[in-house]
Amino acid sequence: MNLYNNKFYQTWVKNAWPYVTGAILLSIFQIATLASTNDPWGVSGALANWGAWLYQLVGGSVDKWYYFSSAGAQETLTNGFLKDPGSIRNLGVIVGALLATLLASQFKIKKIKSGKQVVAAVLGGLMMGYGARIAFGCNIGALFSGISSLSLSGWVFALFLFLGAVVGSKLLVKYFM
Amino acid sequence: MKEVMLDCLGEACPVPLVKAENKLNTLDVGDVLIVQIDHSCAMKNVPEWARKEGHNVEIEEVDDGEWEVIIEKVK
Repeated sequence: MNLYNNKFYQTWVKNAWPYVTGAILLSIFQIATLASTNDPWGVSGALANWGAWLYQLVGGSVDKWYYFSSAGAQETLTNGFLKDPGSIRNLGVIVGALLATLLASQFKIKKIKSGKQVVAAVLGGLMMGYGARIAFGCNIGALFSGISSLSLSGWVFALFLFLGAVVGSKLLVKYFM
Repeated sequence: MKEVMLDCLGEACPVPLVKAENKLNTLDVGDVLIVQIDHSCAMKNVPEWARKEGHNVEIEEVDDGEWEVIIEKVK
């Protein structure tokens, strides 16, 4: 029998899972994250640490940076990648996503279409990264974890995320298409 | 009745959806639009939109991570 036509392969591995299934799994895992690490789930905070470690690799120092000035932040940086739960989890997200596309045989290295696309990606990445840090969270740490811990800030973040997405979509269609 | 190819390979959401909407507007009833995509979320939102508009839609997986969404304009 051809694996490709197998019903279970199709349902579990090949086709995207329903949104509701994803929502339930994300909820369960973020509760497990909070219970086991005492920190709510976040993504972009660990990425800032990755940036700091890369900067240290080339001889830079972030000791005097306000963002990393707290004792906790310094401790995380000193302990390193393997002792930072957020970093390991982010690595897991990347490896898990890779595994999922490979199993569904949907892996593809996409070509870069134009210089415009590069500019849009770099600009978008910089703005999202900068915004996520001054807001102390991205759509995971500030929105998802915020709302799920009944914090008002999560809802405020949601409102402005929506407004930002409207403006961003208009700009995308106008200048980058 | 003509068949039009729309190359959206390498484009991320929501670009394929916006391009498909704009292109379909320029076509006549009975024409077929083939949207080439390699972004899996476009494989969900492009057919979803076209079906909601009442068009005939078929999805073909042409290669690893590459699809053609075939839309027949019915109205």
